Amino acid sequence: MIVKKVLALTVFALAITSCAINTESATQTPASNSDTEITVFAAASLTQTFTEISNKFELANPGVKVTISFAGSATLAEQIKQGAPVDVFASASSSAILSVANEITNPKNFARNRVVIAYPSANPKNIVTSQDLNNKDLIWIQCDHQVPCGAAADKALAVDGVTSQPKSLEPDVNSVLNKLIAGEVDAAIVYLTDVFANSNLKSLEFSNKVSAATSYSIGTSNEASSSAQDFVAFVLAQSGQEVLIAAGFDAPPN
Amino acid sequence: MRHQTNNLQGSAKLNPGFALLALAGFLVLALPVFALLTRVPWGSFLEIAISESVLLALEVSVATSIISAVISVLLGVPLAWYLARGPQARTRWIRPIVIAPLVMPPTVSGIALLTLMGRNGMFGKYIYEATGYSMPFTTTAVIVSGIFVGMPFLVLVLESAFRQTPIELEEAAATLGAPPAKVFWRISLPLAKSGLIAGAVLAWARALGEFGATLMFAGSLPGVTRTMPMAVYSAMESDQGSAFVVSAILLAVAILVVFFLRSNLIKTFAR
Repeated sequence: MIVKKVLALTVFALAITSCAINTESATQTPASNSDTEITVFAAASLTQTFTEISNKFELANPGVKVTISFAGSATLAEQIKQGAPVDVFASASSSAILSVANEITNPKNFARNRVVIAYPSANPKNIVTSQDLNNKDLIWIQCDHQVPCGAAADKALAVDGVTSQPKSLEPDVNSVLNKLIAGEVDAAIVYLTDVFANSNLKSLEFSNKVSAATSYSIGTSNEASSSAQDFVAFVLAQSGQEVLIAAGFDAPPN
Repeated sequence: MRHQTNNLQGSAKLNPGFALLALAGFLVLALPVFALLTRVPWGSFLEIAISESVLLALEVSVATSIISAVISVLLGVPLAWYLARGPQARTRWIRPIVIAPLVMPPTVSGIALLTLMGRNGMFGKYIYEATGYSMPFTTTAVIVSGIFVGMPFLVLVLESAFRQTPIELEEAAATLGAPPAKVFWRISLPLAKSGLIAGAVLAWARALGEFGATLMFAGSLPGVTRTMPMAVYSAMESDQGSAFVVSAILLAVAILVVFFLRSNLIKTFAR
């Protein structure tokens, strides 16, 4: 009996360990009887804006239900490669969407963003230049290198000659942001739009805004319905652009 | 009773529908593991296994999980003993609290640890103000996460092993003049040895596999806090070969643990 109990526990232990976190997904419930459903994979940094845009889209298109899964662009690209059912992919970098060129076609830039050095509004560590990150007493973190926000951070930090190491390489920007808001770090490399959305945070720009920038791309899967095409058009049109710009994103390059 | 069970084994007749469900259950568990194995790049396994990123994660994981298990034993043995032999009026309330981390979602464990030991945490705040030390993002934080999620297994298994020990033996030794400490070290603990080993191995395996709580509490930095499960997660997006190699290593450890526990426990309890 004991043997069985312990074996059950073992299996249980191994099961628990495989629980993964930080793939935040948000689901909108349909307002009407929906005939069409579209699944959107969107970068974690689009959590607020795409939730709002999809609500507007559903209002404008009765009968269409939008389901969005938010996570790091690299995670989403990997899920798409593994055959996850997706109609629209909105990634935080061109390279992330190009890595799934077989599955997602005709990507278009729809917004720009850039990474900044974010810190609490009170600025207890007196951060005034990016060089302050080199201060040994200062704890800062960023996204992992393969995530768009991490790739942009790597470039911008190199240009500014920051040589100190981050205390952690987080799997997506929300995870970085959570630790900054929780007060566990003094500074964090996040998107300008993240600072926009949090009144308790202030930001410092990198000296070279071009190297800190990232272009958001959106595309549809090969078998996407016309509703999915409509959603992409909605994001690219004024309806989506005004939401993005209000959140601090820049218009896409022409 | 055990003999009866053994004699009946193999003689049960299953109706076909029932057997089909059993097969489905087996496949649900076995197929994902099989699929994983098909993707492991066996040809370059060794080369990847000794690459820097994998070795760093291996180092962090092995060191932290062993330290977590040792501390779990040091603290868990007295706790299990108390739960097995202490006054029921109290152990009734203590036991659920001790076991709770076992069924807690790892993210909740991570938040709980941060709330206690983070820079703004209940204790962490005073430690930070007094000494400038903060636990998150340190290897210590990985060890503490491992203890938090692993020790409940040790306590659970060891407590039940202590309960298996006939209390008459302990009473007899005490009647013959042995002081309580001697009774514990010479009778109770040796008789619960298999439970101690099984519990320690379980606590170690749980610490080795921990992901969510560690990521939330300790972060993820190669060579400092990035353990093997976190390396798998990170590599899955950029370097799949090493993700599958590390997964295969963790899988091998899991299978070894299960077999070890099985033979170890059968040997002791089936006497």
